[in-house]
Amino acid sequence: MSDYKTELKEVWCKGCGNYGILGVLARRVFPKLQIPNHQICIFSGIGCSPRITGYINTYGFNFLHGRAIAFAQGAKLAKPELTVLAIGGDGDFFSIGAGHLPHAVRRNINITCIMANNFVYALTKGQTSPTTPFSEMGEHDPRSFDENPPVDPILDMVAYSVSTKASFIAQGIATDPNHLSRLIEEGIKHRGFSFIGVLTACPTYRGELFNVIREKVTYLDEGKLVELPESSEEKPWIHDPSNIDLAFKLAKVPILERPYLGVFFRGKEKL
Amino acid sequence: MRKDLTIGIVGAGGDGVVVLGGIILKIAAGQGYYAFREQHTEAQIRGGGSAVRLCLKTESVLMPADELDILVCFNWEKYLVFIKELPIDERTIVFYDGLPPAELKLPARSFEVSFSQNKNIAALGFLAKVLSLPPKEAEKIIDEDIARGKKDLLEKSLAALKLGESLFDETKHPKIGLPILERQSPKIVLHGNEAAARGAIKAGCRFAASYPITPGTEATDYLKKELERIGGVYIQAEDEIASMGLVMGASSVGVKAIDVTSGPGLDLKTEMIGLGVTAEIPLVLINVQRGGPSTGIPAKTEQSDLNQAIYGGHGDAPRVVLAPYNLEGCYELTIEAFNIAERFQVPVILLSDQWLGQTLVAADDDFLKKEPVVVGRKKPNETEKNNYRRYLVTPDFVSPMANAGDEGFTYQTRGLSHNERGEPAQDHEASQLMHDKRWKKLLPLKEREDLVKIFGNQKSKVGIIVWGSTGQAILGALKASGLEDRVKVCIPELIYPLPTTALRKFLKPLKKLLVVELNYSGQFYRYLTSQVDLPKKRLVYQRAGGRPFGFKELIQKIEEALQ
Repeated sequence: MSDYKTELKEVWCKGCGNYGILGVLARRVFPKLQIPNHQICIFSGIGCSPRITGYINTYGFNFLHGRAIAFAQGAKLAKPELTVLAIGGDGDFFSIGAGHLPHAVRRNINITCIMANNFVYALTKGQTSPTTPFSEMGEHDPRSFDENPPVDPILDMVAYSVSTKASFIAQGIATDPNHLSRLIEEGIKHRGFSFIGVLTACPTYRGELFNVIREKVTYLDEGKLVELPESSEEKPWIHDPSNIDLAFKLAKVPILERPYLGVFFRGKEKL
Repeated sequence: MRKDLTIGIVGAGGDGVVVLGGIILKIAAGQGYYAFREQHTEAQIRGGGSAVRLCLKTESVLMPADELDILVCFNWEKYLVFIKELPIDERTIVFYDGLPPAELKLPARSFEVSFSQNKNIAALGFLAKVLSLPPKEAEKIIDEDIARGKKDLLEKSLAALKLGESLFDETKHPKIGLPILERQSPKIVLHGNEAAARGAIKAGCRFAASYPITPGTEATDYLKKELERIGGVYIQAEDEIASMGLVMGASSVGVKAIDVTSGPGLDLKTEMIGLGVTAEIPLVLINVQRGGPSTGIPAKTEQSDLNQAIYGGHGDAPRVVLAPYNLEGCYELTIEAFNIAERFQVPVILLSDQWLGQTLVAADDDFLKKEPVVVGRKKPNETEKNNYRRYLVTPDFVSPMANAGDEGFTYQTRGLSHNERGEPAQDHEASQLMHDKRWKKLLPLKEREDLVKIFGNQKSKVGIIVWGSTGQAILGALKASGLEDRVKVCIPELIYPLPTTALRKFLKPLKKLLVVELNYSGQFYRYLTSQVDLPKKRLVYQRAGGRPFGFKELIQKIEEALQ
């Protein structure tokens, strides 16, 4: 099968990053890996990106906010021959369902999680998400930022995944489908829990932020020197995703200063 | 000679009270006695009070007598905690461990016995003599259940056992002796929690997930052990919500799955249950009720999750609620729960409770030997291939269900209101259609007269309706009091949807109705009034849990109803 698209019309806004992720999965990753569509099971949460299950002709379950990982693990444990994905947004994975993530990492069940990170609650019209940068929060936050400024951004996919030692950690961007396809393919093939963050544009509520991020993205290449931002006190090192200590160093670089794209960490697989 | 003996054992947590009760029950079961070990604990790991009420009988035990025949007391202070659960009178023989405090006046028939360090095992040797139980059996059970291959522990325990026996021999304590049996077929020993778990396995369940919660853990312990043995999956979830998600994921790919919880867990699973209803995912959830609300009384019984089980959640979300009233029911209704879940593609909640779940019973094992009917899912046929509609409206409103992984039947579904294909459909018509489907598919259940159990004198004009474990208590009280021919009793095992045809048949000739339930607000009675017409003369006895119903307490209400 060359195309895994359904005929259902997308609900997304024009320019939404989710189109990029949809194209990558339906037209590149699944056809390339040649997984029969009935052997793929996708669970998603609630928000803009989770609608994706409706547009991909596999078994698709657009269920509850934050719980995609729980459903996905149950399906994979019950029928290990299936390729199982959990897809959601930053609200799904890092807010209402954040409690599930470390446990999925700990169990290392062979599922692939894709977090479309658009730094905003878009479906509910622009509220602060767990990854919204401090500078974007607006004037209505009740806290006094001067006295006690929050960590910026609030939750960083890379820092979190590395700290929990997920078996496979990568970050891509929805506007580079070639690169993103490679990351997701590798994540699916990786035997263990894979977590892939995708920087995604929300042209409606966070358009400018995405443009800023997009301009700063830096690719990680294995065997090559890591480009560090000026603020970094580290000396550049050779990127080696098999080394968790180096992944920790990468995780310390603020995403707004240098959003890295590529494989951050690839744990040992059971042969 | 009497037909039953009731023995209370009480001590501090860690004294081995529950173990002692369990071993005596096991020995008695091996000799063919029916037995029953009710468990009373304070919610503390160590040092809190712990008590059991053990009833040994020549016929099937439904309910123990209120006053004890024998009390074994390791700690008087702790006895006072449970004095209402383990009442004594002037006939009760008390064996008191060590010297009682000077200010304490023990009952007339009290004996001081020094069980010393390994007190529960010494007391076992002692009690085995008092009850004329074979000491060899005690040794065997100690070897299997306590020592488990540890030689030094076995030696220490056997020494304690001998000490207990000699304590009896040295003194002139009365031998009480168990009633004589006509037939000595060994009994099986299990509690409702294990019975339910066994039922799940028998029904073909091969996946279980749960979050640890009192008083349901014995069920999950068994499921874990058994599923690992037979190649199924048990997974301890990170929280109550995740366990339900894991179960629904497994069911979506076609594996029968179960979750076990108690009240607070049921609250947290509410959103998941609503999803299961709308996405039409078969699953079974056992809720072993405990005292509520909130953290409530975790280790004690109550029947107060009925409203939550029937109505819990936003939107109109019809599910199925079953409630066993005895040990056999825990097993058989769990199988039925799976059958209903699979047949109607719906979440089924089984309402057990701490009393049913944790009371250890020695019973006949006939029910475990029966080959039950096991129902599977309605599957799509070949003609539906590549044009499959997951929510096809059929004459019986149940759609064929493909399992994820089946070739040619991929579908995309959601918690959003959807059409027959599972695609989002936010219009009124689609919503009305799917509501119709989900409500009407369950209608045949209202005719399930076999899930309404009727007892007593069919001609009586006085009827009792009870649900769950109160059913067993009422039947036991009626039997022991000889009042069983004066009333008729109805125990609906299917609570929602209520089999109204059977209920109406039962209610129609009645002049007076008694409803008894273990919750403060009378949840079942209120529900009943919304479903069927009741006789004008009614007596409703409802009270908060924390203590199971007592024999005299129930008899008083039944006699009031008979006046």
